[in-house]
Amino acid sequence: MSEDIQLLIDDVVAKALAGDMDPINNIEDRVTRSKAKAALVKAKRSQPKTEIKSNASENSDVKAKDTIEQVVIASLSKNFSNFLDGEQNGEWIQIKAENWFEIAKHLKENENLYFDSLQCNTGFDLEGGMLESRYNLHSMKHLHAIEIRIKVSIENPDIPSVESLWRVADWFERETYDMFGINFTGHRDLRRILLPEDWEGWPLRKNYEEQETYHGIVVPKVKEGWE
Amino acid sequence: MGLLENRFDDNIVVEKLDKLLSWARSTSPWFFQFGTACCAIEMMAAAASRHDLMRIGIIPRSSPRQADVMIVAGTVTMKMALRVKKLYEQMADPKYVVAMGSCATSGGPYWQHGYHVLKGVDLVIPVDVYVPGCPPRPEALIEGLLKLQEQILEGRPLTRKTG
Amino acid sequence: MGVVHGQEMVLNIGPQHPATHGVLRLQVKTDGEVISEITPYLGYLHRCFEKHCENVTYEQVIPFTDRCDYLASMTMNFGYVVAVEKLMDIKVNDRVQHIRVIMAELQRIASHLLATGVFGLDLGAFTPFLHMLRDRERIIDLFEMTCGARLLYNYMWVGGLSHDLPKGFVEATLNFLDYFEPKIDEFENLLGHNKIFVERTADIGIMPAEVAINFGVTGPNLRASGVNWDLRKDDPYSIYDKFDFNVPVGQGIKGTVGDSWDRFYVRLQEIRESVKIVRQALDQLPKDGDVHQSMPKKIRPPKGSIYSRTESPRGDLGYYIESDGSDTPSRLKMRSPAFTALGVLDEIAGGWLMSDVLAILGSLDIVLGEIDR
Repeated sequence: MSEDIQLLIDDVVAKALAGDMDPINNIEDRVTRSKAKAALVKAKRSQPKTEIKSNASENSDVKAKDTIEQVVIASLSKNFSNFLDGEQNGEWIQIKAENWFEIAKHLKENENLYFDSLQCNTGFDLEGGMLESRYNLHSMKHLHAIEIRIKVSIENPDIPSVESLWRVADWFERETYDMFGINFTGHRDLRRILLPEDWEGWPLRKNYEEQETYHGIVVPKVKEGWE
Repeated sequence: MGLLENRFDDNIVVEKLDKLLSWARSTSPWFFQFGTACCAIEMMAAAASRHDLMRIGIIPRSSPRQADVMIVAGTVTMKMALRVKKLYEQMADPKYVVAMGSCATSGGPYWQHGYHVLKGVDLVIPVDVYVPGCPPRPEALIEGLLKLQEQILEGRPLTRKTG
Repeated sequence: MGVVHGQEMVLNIGPQHPATHGVLRLQVKTDGEVISEITPYLGYLHRCFEKHCENVTYEQVIPFTDRCDYLASMTMNFGYVVAVEKLMDIKVNDRVQHIRVIMAELQRIASHLLATGVFGLDLGAFTPFLHMLRDRERIIDLFEMTCGARLLYNYMWVGGLSHDLPKGFVEATLNFLDYFEPKIDEFENLLGHNKIFVERTADIGIMPAEVAINFGVTGPNLRASGVNWDLRKDDPYSIYDKFDFNVPVGQGIKGTVGDSWDRFYVRLQEIRESVKIVRQALDQLPKDGDVHQSMPKKIRPPKGSIYSRTESPRGDLGYYIESDGSDTPSRLKMRSPAFTALGVLDEIAGGWLMSDVLAILGSLDIVLGEIDR
């Protein structure tokens, strides 16, 4: 590329970034015009990134105190021992299944934590024989939120139920059971909630395959049974 | 009608009983108000202000026993399919079915990975009119019902198979 | 005469009952007319939303979110794109933000109109239903003008919108608002202060605040119980912090705080607030700005997960997205507000009469598409 064209492209890109698209569109040569547009895309892409970086650095300056995950772990360590499961990465808290009910009770009733609402419970198929149950907790009093993850093996997927603490967990856990087959021990009424009682398999596991028929109706998408 | 023609005043029309029956049926197909999903809202909009289905003699009924037409408005799932069949069997003859929207026609957007979605309501009950769209506009539903009326009008209940 | 002890009787309502707002089956145990237990059976509309999300790309998820809550498709799109944009760190320009807010609030009005209208219809009031649907049609005309669809819009995309506003939209919307504002008072008089309606709903199905929080009830249902909690105020997303509006809470004007009438009234008040927001957003709408400006070519969020919530007309709408770095979500869970609202039915309807069940159910404003997904 000759220097003249490069200069022209730089010029029109700078103008386009300022909001004036006419110079680009007025370039006669098609090749040069497309090059200029490509350069514009590149320039635009690099723009917001720099903005985000500056924001992030501002935030990190402000944030000097502990994150909510660290506060929760510190508070739990006073009452429980050996409850963490593996390395913690700071974005969520990975705990073991055994003491989950007591830990949940502490999270809900401790004055400084006070997670009074269970926002969301979801299952996750980690593949390789592991399932995970994830809880998003939120405090309407202190306005903080954390995520708790509990890993169990696919052969023995038992997790203590927390439905007596947060009644909303009643249906959440039934749904997770329905979709992943995670068994919540101590749940008063653990049945399938969305699928029929006599459905086979756990649909949201990654290796799920649909059953062929349900009460004589063809289930998979191929309509061979009736044509 | 050679024998009866021109024997009466102008305000008396002579026709076959067959045609009278199908004419009466076609002008008052009461439909079974039975919405399952998104299309039910458009069905409601078709029956409410502005579109006003009742002006063409189509009135919603809440019970299958009082209805002639079943509009399957929305996705039918495996759990629901058994119910839909039962409801269809509860309706009195003559009965007609309109499959409204792409879900009732073929499973629609849920066709590929929908393990719990019935791929077309025609797998469990016979369908007379299919109305395409996701969801069909109320005008489209009205068009479908007018098509159904034409179909009923062509039927010869006494001399041929109904509908 | 001695006291008559009735035998316990099991009654089935649904799944094809006209007052269940879709395909919901309630198994009701009654002693005479008094309800002792309600067991909802769901899943008659389970359309495998989450399985589809794991098999389609991020863009293709948007039409499926439309179909989950088909009465408030715009806010369903809104919640999803906000979540993905947070995950990918995309900032959209001001014009897009304003248009999104306008659409979401118009949708809230439309959804609440239908909710209150159908609530009246459940209790035998047919006229308000027709009035409210008539005005809902006008809002739908505005949406149709913008994106061509009446019900399922697929309008908000990740990083932008599918179309810019059409010519004449601002004037048409202002005309509509001018026409509509006096109508709200009319609805209030027509339904809210109707003697029969008040008798059927005031003091019926009271939901105390702590029950509501424990059962995860959100949105207008929670606010009717006297809790001032609105994500638009308390955890502002998009540009809601720029607007001036109030959060109506239940005051128990006709009965007790948290009864069915309060739930109706909070919705009606929210319509007024939404009108305010739309007016402000139209006023501040920036003239220029490309609605496709920050749309990524390929949506590939970095590895990680996010739980993001927005305020839909029915409450906290949460999306949990787990990304493995590819262009399809590896897990997408929708936390639906109507799901938790239905969960509380057994708790608040026990002890009331059979005829009250439908009043309470109608006041909770559930949408089955979102409950079953």
